[in-house]
Amino acid sequence: MRMRKRLVWTASGVALAGSAVARASGWNMPVGVTDLSQDIYGLHMTIFWICVVIGIVVFGAFFFSLFRYRRSRGAKPSRFHEHTTTEVLWTLVPLLILVVMAVPATATLKAMYDTSEADMEVMITGQQWRWRYEYRGEDVSFTSNLATPREQIDGQSAKGEHYLREVDEPLVLPVDRKVRLLMTSDDVIHSWWVPELGVKQDTMPGFVNENWVRINEPGTYRGQCAELCGRDHAFMPIVVEAVTPERFASWLDERRSAAAEAAMGLDREWGMDELMERGQEVYATSCASCHQPDGSGSPPAFPALAGNQALMDDRERHVETVVNGVAGSSMAAFRNILNPVDIAAVITYERNAWGSETGERVQPSAIAERLAD
Amino acid sequence: MWRVIASVLAAFFGVQKESRRREDFSRRGAGAFIVVGVLLALVLVCLIALVATLAAR
Repeated sequence: MRMRKRLVWTASGVALAGSAVARASGWNMPVGVTDLSQDIYGLHMTIFWICVVIGIVVFGAFFFSLFRYRRSRGAKPSRFHEHTTTEVLWTLVPLLILVVMAVPATATLKAMYDTSEADMEVMITGQQWRWRYEYRGEDVSFTSNLATPREQIDGQSAKGEHYLREVDEPLVLPVDRKVRLLMTSDDVIHSWWVPELGVKQDTMPGFVNENWVRINEPGTYRGQCAELCGRDHAFMPIVVEAVTPERFASWLDERRSAAAEAAMGLDREWGMDELMERGQEVYATSCASCHQPDGSGSPPAFPALAGNQALMDDRERHVETVVNGVAGSSMAAFRNILNPVDIAAVITYERNAWGSETGERVQPSAIAERLAD
Repeated sequence: MWRVIASVLAAFFGVQKESRRREDFSRRGAGAFIVVGVLLALVLVCLIALVATLAAR
């Protein structure tokens, strides 16, 4: 009796220590910051411990029998064909365990699929290789690009703390609000995965998948694309910035006025220097991953821009390619990704960098007119 | 008839007594087992559909 009591205490001690080690080491899945992610974590741990107990009982009985009833101690095997009671037991017990696991798992799944009564909606679009966020009904949308500098990726400088898990513009969401996430893709299947929000959802071209979050704590939550989507699959991270509802409202106002400022740039003529400066920034975030920072490209998939005389002689084709993309290739239609000022700037930059000094400027107003057609 | 149903249910569960099995195999023809088996399979499908509907409510 005392022996058994000690065994129980030891086992629960090991279990507790095991949980603590698993959590502290970062090997375990995160508990997360939504009620659902915490439910998911709870389910994971419950089922994990059920499996541990089954393992100990099964292998314990197995090794005990091997040792205690070995032939050198004179054990004689009993020979019988059937034992209905045992057979019924070993069928019923696993059945009951499965039902015990299925009940809370089904409840959690039901909650995950219930996207009704949301306070707001965000449309998430996967693109090779960036995410686009649109706050539905708020007139705010933007593209979120990898912000890790090229030198860190190429090993020319030390890697930062959030290497490949940092973006230029995070998805900002309010805490304590139910946010419905509508997910789709412009090209191939991506997957929007943020472990601490308990969300991992495929984004498919031609489909809109739904999910939702209600974040409990303000903070920065990082994730990645979880569906192999091509060469830069590892270079399209997700960063969610959870803020108080008040800060979220003022952020939305700021974004709207920033959009208005971008529109302001359309009614004036832009000089060469400002177009080149802006174009260089845009090129670095939107073009350099395929066409390379020095414009050399990776032929044949990604043609060179530097020294591409045919392209420099045909400005119309250059504009058309950037604005509408090339069907059947990786070249995206940037009309959906960049604003007219950025498109004009990046084309100007490409036509005047790396030794191609055409001296031509492409005006934002001309691009805006083209997009309006 | 009751014996046939009991044997089919035992087969669904996966456990049957050897003595019962011998008796069943001494019968002439398997027609009754097949008919009862198909009917009970339909009942099982309906039962699972019912549980799923209740759980999804």
